[in-house]
Amino acid sequence: MLLKLTFNSLYARLLTVAMTVFAISLSLMLYMSVEKLRTSAYTSFTDTISQTDLIVGARTSSVQLLLYSVFRIGNATNNITWESYEDVINKKEVAWSVPISLGDSHKGFRVMGTNSEFFKRYKFRGGQSIELEQGNNLDDLYDVIIGAGVAEKLNYSVGTPLIVSHGLQSFSDHDDQPFKISGILAKTGTPVDNTVIVSLEAIEAIHVDWSTGAKIPGQITPVEEIRQMDLSPKNITAALIGVNSKLQIFQLQRWINEYPEESLSSILPGVALQELWRIVGVVENLLLGISVTVIFTTLIGMTAIIFSSLNERRREMAIWRAMGASPKVVIGLLMLEALIISVMSIIVSTVMLFLTLYVLQPWIDNTYGILVNIETLAVKDIYIFMLFILSASLVSLIPAIRAYWFSINDGMTIKI
Amino acid sequence: MKYIIYILLSFNLTTFIISAEETRQVDKHEHGVGELNIAVEGSTIEFEFMIPGADIVGFEYVAKSDDDIAKINQALKTFDDYTNIFTLPSNSLCELDSQKVALKEEDEHDDHDEHEDHDEHDDQDEHAEENHNEFYAKYSFECGNINAIKEVNFPYFATFTNSGELEVQFISNMGSTSFEVEGDEPSINTDGKI
Repeated sequence: MLLKLTFNSLYARLLTVAMTVFAISLSLMLYMSVEKLRTSAYTSFTDTISQTDLIVGARTSSVQLLLYSVFRIGNATNNITWESYEDVINKKEVAWSVPISLGDSHKGFRVMGTNSEFFKRYKFRGGQSIELEQGNNLDDLYDVIIGAGVAEKLNYSVGTPLIVSHGLQSFSDHDDQPFKISGILAKTGTPVDNTVIVSLEAIEAIHVDWSTGAKIPGQITPVEEIRQMDLSPKNITAALIGVNSKLQIFQLQRWINEYPEESLSSILPGVALQELWRIVGVVENLLLGISVTVIFTTLIGMTAIIFSSLNERRREMAIWRAMGASPKVVIGLLMLEALIISVMSIIVSTVMLFLTLYVLQPWIDNTYGILVNIETLAVKDIYIFMLFILSASLVSLIPAIRAYWFSINDGMTIKI
Repeated sequence: MKYIIYILLSFNLTTFIISAEETRQVDKHEHGVGELNIAVEGSTIEFEFMIPGADIVGFEYVAKSDDDIAKINQALKTFDDYTNIFTLPSNSLCELDSQKVALKEEDEHDDHDEHEDHDEHDDQDEHAEENHNEFYAKYSFECGNINAIKEVNFPYFATFTNSGELEVQFISNMGSTSFEVEGDEPSINTDGKI
């Protein structure tokens, strides 16, 4: 009976109520999407590399080395010489290693030179391996394997020819040495999807006629001649390393960091990621703080709306009293009103959130490489909902008590 | 006057060019920040501390006065009992397998020598100004139930009142992570990480 009355009363003020619900829903949605992006970004990042014990590169900050070598974002790090790399992997602690060479691109996608170990050793999402969906491994010098994202966006298939550009811009192409797609990888949800993979020798081959960053004019070594050349790599960007025993890792790390011949650094991926997260965490907390403030503001807004409607509704209340409602029922009615508004807002905001995420998910994945999980609500969200309903009811007590006084004073005749 | 400056400048430049031939590296050293490495493999867990002398005894020059020597020896003795530094949950059934405690002294002409002998620092010469020393301690445990290590507590902060924070690198088969531990919350949560 009371519920029906409240519903009808709300319905009578449909426009105001709808706008209030909309405002609150937006603020709740803001909070939830910040939270959702935060957790998704974290899992996306941590899922990208697994079972690699150390990343070795030139001396730089651990975050930069991690971002560049694994996520291929941020500024390039220096390269390290092949000799140093060999010194490192000849240490008895090292079980396996994957050299990585970055620097060139194809239509905006990074080209990565590596060897067959990469396909065996690179693991993501708790130990999953990358798999070829179509085609073969890198058998020929001019074979490339592309990630699922590259294939999808450029509409490539096995056998499509491909030209690698020098650097990140397509100003100068390695067009004298065309590649052929030999394989396409299955989707991983990691930066590998957006990578063009070639052999380390191919990276050397395309730079045969290049000297100090520019093509030597007029010099084109025929492909046949290049195939005969010694193409063993001279330098690499970074290396992923696995150790025999975790107990040896810090000793190896220290040895690499103190390696006298070249300035190297070695990082533990999880440690670097944690470091990055401590930096990002500040911004995250700021965003969370803002969205919580917005929720509070809308709560206050809701109270203000109920408050301002009180005067107009003194007649309504008088009628309730005439029908036999006690002043306490008036309090209940108003609190119920707030409760209905907040529950409706929660439903609307959740629907809006999932619709928005559903629409934006492919774009976020493509642009930032973050796979947003849109399947479930977090437990934390449920807590926040409960907290929100509780605080909405508490806040609504203020206008409710005022209405209570009105109804006691007014009785059935309104004195204005 | 001007010429003297030029001469001095060119002298500086030449020495720089000459010495550029050799590789020079200096380790990081930040007072108030100790490093801790924790590695887990099978039923073994190892703790490796590297802590600036200033955080432990309040100075880093070569101890010469009886008072300073006593302080250092006292600190090394404190490290000898790991429970002064950290504690593991008793239900993890961890037994100390081996330990190594040392004072690493570095000066300008650092050659990365380890001075494991506690008393050796008496013989060092005067490099008081440039000296940086570091307490090194490594403890290795065999655990009956290593998964029960859900938390590690650090009485370290209470034991050494000069101590700042501890930067922890942690690795197990579950992957690597890091922690920053400070005196106001002297523990790390390793639940689900071993």
